[in-house]
Amino acid sequence: MVEPPASATGDIAFNLIVFFLVCASVQPDSGREQSLPRSDQDSEEQTENIQVQLTRNAVMLNGAILRQDDFAIALNRSLKGKVRPEDRVVIVQSKPDTPYSHWVIVTEMIDQAGGIVTIQTEEVQQMVVPNS
Amino acid sequence: MKISRRASKADVPSMAMGDIAFNLLIFFVILARAEDDSHLHWQPASAVEITASGAAKVSVLIDSDNKYYVNGQQVGETQIAGEVESLLGNAAAGDRRVFFKVHKDAQAMYFEPAIAAISEVGGDLIHVLEQKKE
Repeated sequence: MVEPPASATGDIAFNLIVFFLVCASVQPDSGREQSLPRSDQDSEEQTENIQVQLTRNAVMLNGAILRQDDFAIALNRSLKGKVRPEDRVVIVQSKPDTPYSHWVIVTEMIDQAGGIVTIQTEEVQQMVVPNS
Repeated sequence: MKISRRASKADVPSMAMGDIAFNLLIFFVILARAEDDSHLHWQPASAVEITASGAAKVSVLIDSDNKYYVNGQQVGETQIAGEVESLLGNAAAGDRRVFFKVHKDAQAMYFEPAIAAISEVGGDLIHVLEQKKE
């Protein structure tokens, strides 16, 4: 029986190392970049910004419930003529049970319409219940 | 009388090379798995327009059990900002990319605080998504 030369095993194993390391690093991630304004840059004129509310499976634009297709059209109309970045801020409020997949679809529409997504988390309100 | 010295041969045994290289292989593979998040369970959400995002220093992941991970290490919600900030260090504006990998069914009460934390420390957020199938 002819055995393979033992000195070759080092080369084989080294090639295996290179192969696995390259395999581990060649899978590039793809996705979408999102610029979020820093919280200290929030404008004081929040009442004039467009507000989008998200629930588990619905989307509201300034309080009006819309279908996804209608939302894109209505949003484009709302952003039309707004040039300054601070005017293009769209405040997104999500209910706690809003799924990420739904959030991604809506924020993508806002990005495509030229809006700047700003997240407004629900504020925790403390209520004091008077003793009866 | 001249006594010739006998030259002794001291070679590294070639048989050992295979073992050394194999141990190196195991070491690097384990090291790579500890650093990345490929072993975590999550499914990306889909979007119409996605682009190749290149590389990022930091990845924040929320898995199917709503647990938070920064570069593959489990952290608490309140630790995300600190961990991301320490990993980003003093990186320049274009070099502060943070991959955000969220399970598609994760709820806003879990992913919004993470987005806020990344934004707070000046990370450039990149949502890792898959191409929407028509």
